[in-house]
Amino acid sequence: MGFDYNSLLAFIIFGVTIGVVYGIVALGISLIYSGLDIVHFAHGEMYMFGAFFGLVLAHNVGVPYPIALIGAMVLTALLGMAVERVFYRRLTRAGGGYTVAGMGMIICGFGMSVALVNVAYFIWGAEAEPFRANLDYIPRLSFPGDIEVPESYVLTAIISVALMAALHYFLRHTKTGLAVRAVAHNKDIAYLMGINVPLMISLIFGLACGLGAAAGVLIGPMQSVQVEMGYLMLMKAFAAAVVGGFGSLPGAIIGGIMVGVFENLGAAYISASHKDIYAFLLLILVLMFKPSGLLGVDAKVKA
Amino acid sequence: MGILSFMADFIDSLAKRHRLLPWLLAYALLLPLPFVLTILFNEYLIDLANRICLFILLAVGLNIVKGFCGQVTVGHIGLYAIGAVTSAVLSLEPGGFGGALGFGWPIWAAIPTAVLVTAFAGLIIGLPSVRLEGAYLALATLGLGESVRIFIAVTPALGSSTGLMMIPAPRIGSFVFDSFTSYYYLVMTAAITGIYFSFSILRSATGRAFQAIREDTIAASVNGINVVKYKLLAFVLSAIYAGLAGALFAHMPPGYLHHNNFTVIEMVTLLLMVVLGGIGNVWGGVIGAIVVAIAYDQTKDLVFYFMDRPIVFQPLVFGLSMVLLVLFMPRGIGGWIEDFQRNRRFVRRSEERLSGTARNP
Repeated sequence: MGFDYNSLLAFIIFGVTIGVVYGIVALGISLIYSGLDIVHFAHGEMYMFGAFFGLVLAHNVGVPYPIALIGAMVLTALLGMAVERVFYRRLTRAGGGYTVAGMGMIICGFGMSVALVNVAYFIWGAEAEPFRANLDYIPRLSFPGDIEVPESYVLTAIISVALMAALHYFLRHTKTGLAVRAVAHNKDIAYLMGINVPLMISLIFGLACGLGAAAGVLIGPMQSVQVEMGYLMLMKAFAAAVVGGFGSLPGAIIGGIMVGVFENLGAAYISASHKDIYAFLLLILVLMFKPSGLLGVDAKVKA
Repeated sequence: MGILSFMADFIDSLAKRHRLLPWLLAYALLLPLPFVLTILFNEYLIDLANRICLFILLAVGLNIVKGFCGQVTVGHIGLYAIGAVTSAVLSLEPGGFGGALGFGWPIWAAIPTAVLVTAFAGLIIGLPSVRLEGAYLALATLGLGESVRIFIAVTPALGSSTGLMMIPAPRIGSFVFDSFTSYYYLVMTAAITGIYFSFSILRSATGRAFQAIREDTIAASVNGINVVKYKLLAFVLSAIYAGLAGALFAHMPPGYLHHNNFTVIEMVTLLLMVVLGGIGNVWGGVIGAIVVAIAYDQTKDLVFYFMDRPIVFQPLVFGLSMVLLVLFMPRGIGGWIEDFQRNRRFVRRSEERLSGTARNP
């Protein structure tokens, strides 16, 4: 049995596409980490809520898919800001970090995650719902060797690149972006410079949750949407963020792609039923041997 | 506060005669519990008491690594799973149901082996703590713990989706621990011994080294504490607790094990116990385990009907109470206990000073 290069190529292409989605969620987690020094354990639920908002907008309201995407991002950003404002503010006001007995934010995030899943279950029930999106206007991509990439995958790649470019532009070339970076760098000095730090913290949360929602709406047509989708995605996004270097924004995307490819190749060539473990394997390997990740600027291996 | 102080004084006077006396008293008081529960309520509550004992073991073990040593680990439930599955697989007869592995070992060999295996797994889960702290350590341990569960869930030899069945019950001679009541004595003894040893660890040189590492790692290493060794030791000790709890859980009647017992919800419940109890306080952890386990059990089947749809709202209550606890009561019940003990010490010293019997005025 000869080695099939075409299927290898196909696995890599699909791995990259799904990896980009991991990367977008990881981008949000990284953004919160670099801004506030906290790990947001409820981010998977933001992604899940985003997917459901998109589903409701596309099916029940009947808007076209791109508008559903934007609407879901805005709604989830508002939700994220509300959660941060109401629940996390007591912890983030101190400038983030591990203030309460070293693990306040971890427990808080865990609790929030469980609570949000339950809220989503109140609203939408436990069944997996298919996300029907009319994507006929997107061309299918064909690669040599009979590999066809479905429309939703093409769209995912396009939108992800657009989102990353927009985020990069916002952070590097606008005044608000500069303020966000200043807050991430040092909150006390940012206060002295006349930056509205609490507002910027809200903005960071909103942006991160909006990115998570985008990932949810993008992955909707590939898989179905259900209440418990957030948890695995969170784990994979964590893996992506750590592999790329926690807090590094380009690193998050590269890490996401690596996790996606690694996972797809593992599922294809080692064992498909263990698919969900490969991301953890990669995470643990990277943490053991290079905790700062691939693009980690400085090893923030401190609490 | 009168009764509490009286009880505390009584326990102190007992402890002055022999340090094991209060423990024996507690053991004696807990002995008739199954009969009291059967008479007052029903047998189901004995099962609940058994599970509370296991949760106490887990919470006390988690407290060693998290409370004493200050390492943030979220993978504890993975260790529990390793202990449970190892002991179950070792003691099952070969060629069991659904392709499950079985070695047919005697149970009293399987349980210690499972504890040893879990201790080794704890060493592995602890390895990242040598280089990582805070968020990174939480992620690494979460990843390890969760991969254990997923591995069990997809491997048919370990039960996968059907779970492991017909796990034999422990026996001594002809006496079989196969009912809730008989099993209660096994787990209750384990829980009390676990609590006792946790205090021993806390008061020993090892425990002081743990606390030094928690307060300031660099200062601890300057004072000659081998930080790597003690961090790993903390993980191994807590893994022994988790492994014992897991092994006892596997053989508990009805002898059935499913990977759903090791999900993130269980981890959240465990965290809630430790947080409610106050991180680092042993008795707080025990009370937290009791309160949360009872609350968890009693709210499990609560549903309300919304548009003719049954709706479970327990996770919401649990999640939100966890968030609110961290926000408004970060010291937990342990904070109250510490305040009580400090007040008592203060009152006693003042009384001694006033009556002129103080040793060093």
